[in-house]
Amino acid sequence: MNPTTTDAGPRQVAPPPAKTSTPAPPRSRRPVFTGRRGLSIAAFMAPAAVFVAIFVYYPMVAGGQMAFRNWNLNDLTDTSWVGLKNFREILADPVFYTVLDNTAVWVVGSIVPQFVIGFAIALWLRRRFRFRGLYQALIFFPWAISGFLIGILFRWMFNSEFGVVNDLLEKAHLIDTPIPWLADPKTAMTAVVIANIWYGVTFFTIMILAALQSIPDEIYEAGAIDGAGKVRTLFQITIPSIRGTLALTVLLRVIWIFNFPDIIFGMTGGGPSNETHIVTTWMISITQQGDYGKASALGLIVVAMLMVFSVFYLTATRERNGKAS
Amino acid sequence: MNRRRAAVALGLATALSVSGCAVGGGSGASDGTVTLHMVESLTNPARTAVLKTLIDRFEKQNPKIKVDLISPPTDTADQKIQQMLQSGSGIDTMEVRDITAGPWSTNGWIYDMSKDLKDWSGWDALTDNAVKYSKDAKNRTYYIPYGFYGLSLYYRTDLVSKAGFTGAPTSWDELLTQATAIQNPAKRQYGYAFRGGTNANSNAVAVIEAYVADKIDRENGFKLTSGKTIFSAPEALTALETYFKLFKKASPPSSVAWGYPEMVEGFSNGSTAFLLQDPEVIATVGESKTITKKQWTTAPLLTGPSGKAVQPVATAGWGIASASKHKAEAEKLIEFLSEGDAASTFDKKNSLVPILKSSADDTFYKTGAWASYVKMTENPDTYITVTQPRNSSWWTEWIQKSDSEIQKVLLGKMTPKQLLADWNTYWTDKWKSQ
Repeated sequence: MNPTTTDAGPRQVAPPPAKTSTPAPPRSRRPVFTGRRGLSIAAFMAPAAVFVAIFVYYPMVAGGQMAFRNWNLNDLTDTSWVGLKNFREILADPVFYTVLDNTAVWVVGSIVPQFVIGFAIALWLRRRFRFRGLYQALIFFPWAISGFLIGILFRWMFNSEFGVVNDLLEKAHLIDTPIPWLADPKTAMTAVVIANIWYGVTFFTIMILAALQSIPDEIYEAGAIDGAGKVRTLFQITIPSIRGTLALTVLLRVIWIFNFPDIIFGMTGGGPSNETHIVTTWMISITQQGDYGKASALGLIVVAMLMVFSVFYLTATRERNGKAS
Repeated sequence: MNRRRAAVALGLATALSVSGCAVGGGSGASDGTVTLHMVESLTNPARTAVLKTLIDRFEKQNPKIKVDLISPPTDTADQKIQQMLQSGSGIDTMEVRDITAGPWSTNGWIYDMSKDLKDWSGWDALTDNAVKYSKDAKNRTYYIPYGFYGLSLYYRTDLVSKAGFTGAPTSWDELLTQATAIQNPAKRQYGYAFRGGTNANSNAVAVIEAYVADKIDRENGFKLTSGKTIFSAPEALTALETYFKLFKKASPPSSVAWGYPEMVEGFSNGSTAFLLQDPEVIATVGESKTITKKQWTTAPLLTGPSGKAVQPVATAGWGIASASKHKAEAEKLIEFLSEGDAASTFDKKNSLVPILKSSADDTFYKTGAWASYVKMTENPDTYITVTQPRNSSWWTEWIQKSDSEIQKVLLGKMTPKQLLADWNTYWTDKWKSQ
């Protein structure tokens, strides 16, 4: 029976739309914010927008203004406009250049070992073996602790008189006299970088392990049939397969480490004599003096520096998304 | 409810919740109960527990007043209080320190209680020092001190006698001699717990003040009676040279970075024989499991060549935020904490030099580690008390600058002579610019 007919007799059926030679224009991906629907969407987005405006954009604008004002919390009776004075003071301060050098050491010295060790651990954890889950939990544990706490912990570990580091080195007959780790500018920087490496390895392990687990086993099996050894497998299968993740993780981590004052603050507070300050710890130190104007100026300089990495990051993610789609 | 109304309601709810974020400070309930928000600064768990006990007692006496005690970590507490004061909300009463009173009052953040406390009966019970420090140069009362901090020498009685000395050192020179004799790094035994890290400037200035004791301006411990800075005096160089010898000959190498925790730990765990500290450490060292109470005690502050020592007095107390809407209730709380048993309990439990006159008759302060403080109080001509310019608006800047420069000297990047010249210029310029 024709479903369009009833016992009452045939109904008139609307003819199918005529096919035209020009295809219909593709639907715009952008949602339409017009009329009632638009109002509803705007109303639901408003709380988030208000919070972002208050907690992100207002402080940014206020901070930007402070950078050009005499804004010292110790005396707010004169907060007049001072132009570029705060910037000039920062650029004229010799500590700024020590801080820049330290920041480079801090970022590069931390990121390279973190990457290498994190990669190695991720490769190890990818294999199937007994108690793998337990090892994974143990390795991820440091990531759950606050950076400042790690700093305080390492401050005591590196204490030359009562610290466990010197104790172990002496027991292993590697040193005869205690090393004043945090008292000497050279060893102090090494010590804070070591602490940061320990802390950050976890992040690389998590990210790389997740990427490794997305590589199909068939590719490795095909490689094995073709006679690829461990090194060739690593460089010709594993790394190319997760290259995008590796690049993004490194970029992201560079930005984070650049902005990560916690460990240094807990371990040395930037000392001895400003020799372990990086830009962010120095900025906090200036803030602690109450000079928000100068600290804001330094903050803007930091933002400018981070813009470079952010541009790289955005370019990399856009390329990746483009390839994915 | 149609969509437009829903959207408007949502917007209003957002606006209310956002504005709610800005509402703070003491709040009043419909039954007339007032909640005071109180923030402490020099926080530690034991001290917070004592304070909470006292607050409980206050609340029982004043059922219409509740106190919400906020205890941020010490390292960031003053900044947190500063931010709350600047925002003008979220705080009624707080710990005001001699170093924060100046900037906070300059910015109009703290309330001058002088008129309200004019007829307060508690004034008569306070020591002269407590009354003096509760008023600034213009007779304004921004805080009532809860106690005083003052230096004394903590020393190991057993190590001193083992090294062949008959008693504790009385002068900086004697300290150098004894600490050097006790120093034995091979056995992890060090003479002096040198302060090279945070607040390193305090002990360096204490030495200098002892060496210029005969000509120091008691109202401004950074000035000589001639009006010049103490750093310009020739004696200041001798003082610093002696002091830095203590680091080279008689201190752990890592003490270049030692702040309060490392110094106290060094003494408490038996590694260092001498420690210069405030009295609150009496309680901490008393809990040491490594050294017994028989192995240590305190001695009066060390003297300079003239046989006199200079005691830089540091203090803190309780004050009220200008923006508080419950000043009367906050004053009641401050009066309670500054009187009778509450004041005495707080000082004893936190090992502070007391604010009440009646403490002079209290046996607690006459025995053991406290005896040195009694000796100093009874000999004011030998142990001169001075006021440091701690309420200067640039005090925080000075601390960071001077601490960093002391480390430069310890690392060999600056000479003591250059350091003094720099400090002299700094203070001379600052005073000129006032």
